[in-house]
Amino acid sequence: MIEQSSDYSTDTYTLQLQGLTKRYGDLVAVDDLTLQIKKGEIFGFLGPNGAGKTTTINMMVGLLSPTSGAVLIDGQDRAQAPKRSIGICPQDLVLWEELTCTENLTVMGDMYDLPRAVTKARVRSLLAALTLSEKANARVSQLSGGMKRRLNIALAVIHDPDIVVLDEPSTGLDPQSRLLLWDFVRLLKNKEGKTIILTTHVMQEADALSDRIAIIDHGKLLQFDTPANLKKKIGSGDIIEMQLTEQEKNEAVIEDLKSVNGILEIQEINDASGKIAIRALNAVNLLPEIIERVDAIRTRVADISIRENTLEDVFIYLTGRGLRE
Amino acid sequence: MIIFAFAFGSSNSLGTGTAPHEIAVINLDQGAAVSINNTTEHINAGATFTQLLENVTYPQTDTHMFTLNNVSADQALSMLKGRALDAVITIPENFSQAVVSLTNASTRAETTSDIGLRVINGSAAQLPVSTTLPKQGNVTSQIIVEGDTDSNAFAAAQSLIFNLLQQYQGQIQAMTIRQVDATLAQKGSNSSINYISAAVQPLTGTRSLTLFDYQAPGVIVFALLLQVGSVAQDLARESARGTLGRLKLSNMRSFDLLFGTLLSWIVFAVAQILLLLGVAVALGFEWFGGANSIVLAVLIGLIGGIASISLGLLLAAFTTNERQAAQLGVLIAVPVFFLTGSFFPLPNEILGTAFGTTFQVYDLLPWTQVADALRQILVFGSGFGDVAAYVGFAIVLTAILFVIGVIFYSLVRLRSELRPE
Repeated sequence: MIEQSSDYSTDTYTLQLQGLTKRYGDLVAVDDLTLQIKKGEIFGFLGPNGAGKTTTINMMVGLLSPTSGAVLIDGQDRAQAPKRSIGICPQDLVLWEELTCTENLTVMGDMYDLPRAVTKARVRSLLAALTLSEKANARVSQLSGGMKRRLNIALAVIHDPDIVVLDEPSTGLDPQSRLLLWDFVRLLKNKEGKTIILTTHVMQEADALSDRIAIIDHGKLLQFDTPANLKKKIGSGDIIEMQLTEQEKNEAVIEDLKSVNGILEIQEINDASGKIAIRALNAVNLLPEIIERVDAIRTRVADISIRENTLEDVFIYLTGRGLRE
Repeated sequence: MIIFAFAFGSSNSLGTGTAPHEIAVINLDQGAAVSINNTTEHINAGATFTQLLENVTYPQTDTHMFTLNNVSADQALSMLKGRALDAVITIPENFSQAVVSLTNASTRAETTSDIGLRVINGSAAQLPVSTTLPKQGNVTSQIIVEGDTDSNAFAAAQSLIFNLLQQYQGQIQAMTIRQVDATLAQKGSNSSINYISAAVQPLTGTRSLTLFDYQAPGVIVFALLLQVGSVAQDLARESARGTLGRLKLSNMRSFDLLFGTLLSWIVFAVAQILLLLGVAVALGFEWFGGANSIVLAVLIGLIGGIASISLGLLLAAFTTNERQAAQLGVLIAVPVFFLTGSFFPLPNEILGTAFGTTFQVYDLLPWTQVADALRQILVFGSGFGDVAAYVGFAIVLTAILFVIGVIFYSLVRLRSELRPE
């Protein structure tokens, strides 16, 4: 059963999805999705490719009509809510290439009926925050990919919305730009009090930024909680990653270790490394016994490491390792 | 392909083939009184000749040479200018009198010839005592065949009409001679008296105009129709790039986008018309009416431009990317252009008659009205009053097309889009 944190009272929810469903013929892209997103939080929305994230987001913002269910913004049906209340940074770059950065932002300011003076001030501050001031009068077609990404984000917030939807905003960004983006997202939350819905495939990003995270797959909600609670829910403890000198004995070792008390889960990592991943409580204390059992099967440990359970482990645990799309 | 074949095929058949020629006959003939066997009868040779034109068929076929359009003189002229007619035949008031003169002259000539022969042969005593010769008439009449002398269709129709008139005159003479000979029991003789004739009257304005002059307005309409694809591409680009989605999430109303699109393309249309006219003039285009005609032509061209923008909106509703829009734009604009009849005359496809005007299927296209109005103004030097009906219809048809375009674009593109992730 899906659990959601219950430490928020209903009146603090700024965005609610109620039984949201989207069907395309026989395909159910989003299946009865119910979520409550609190005002002022950063909400991580995770799922593999084709899980239904973008479809859900498009329904949230009004680009797509749900087959059934409702989207409420501050308790009001989305269609009745002011358009200014929500802003989206789409996954793709959605810019007018022939216009300058300033012109792109000004056009959108005008489209939201912002007074020209307000738009001007907002354009200046956003370009500064996203280090695009020097390119204010440069045509978008002349910008680098990273700069375009940052302008794409600026366009989502030019009208100062309460809710900002960032659909994979860090795609294609170098580490420096990504850190700048993270700072900007935190600024939106902490200084401007915005509610941010963030989808990303970078688990480190979701872990670092999100107050709460929902993981969906095949259009269904799998888990919804804080990153810490999620990591606890799928299993406490640490992850031991072990590589044997003879990979053909992985299966025998896995079978043998399953009986070790304290090992919660063990599986072979399906990549070229041929490593075995062991999730265990008190992993450090279990190491001697694990090595002893490996010796008993007449093979040797080539490499072994211990790390903390990560959001990626949670993600893979919930959604599996199979490729999508 | 079918429409291309239709356009080119109809052009060939109407120009030089054995298809019926669209003509109108304005019969002004007042008729004439003829005394036959001491009784006076009223004849109308104009009506008889009109009947002949209506019934005559191509040799060894059932195909009529002419399709007669029952229209007034003004309507006929207007249709002629719009190339809905190949020729307009005006039969003068004294046509019947000229026919009577021809008959009398033929009778006198034949009778005189017969008496002469009998005197020479020594048989004059056998002449009937009651023989009196009809009065010599001197009425001549000329049928006017009006049309665009640069048009192949007119040339073909005109030659057929001249030929028929000659035959008609010959038949009258032959019939008269047969009657005289029956009375005088004598074989006839030939006389060549030319009381009725025909003359070509070039359509106003076409005498000094070249084919280029005539077709320049059509080129303007063609250029305006090419805007269909450009408008559709413009809007499809917004849709494909996602910028339309961004705009839809803002406070922008459908009207803002569509009216904005309309305005920007109107500016383009005006520039395009001026540029085309400029180039045409530079290439030797001669138009009637001076600067006023140009201003009027630009304004009328603008209606065609708005019609093209409206069709572009409609097209954009059903295209998802620029390439699709460009391809569909050409696919639709070119056949529509042919259907305006700007380059080629089209076969009669009469829809009905209203306000004293016969409407063809093609008249439902605003560009047909625009092309006709432009031609009237630039080629024939007509004023606004002459083209008010064309302009009125063009505006109504354009407004209908714009509303349809806006409705479809709003419904399909400006609502929540139903596309999968």
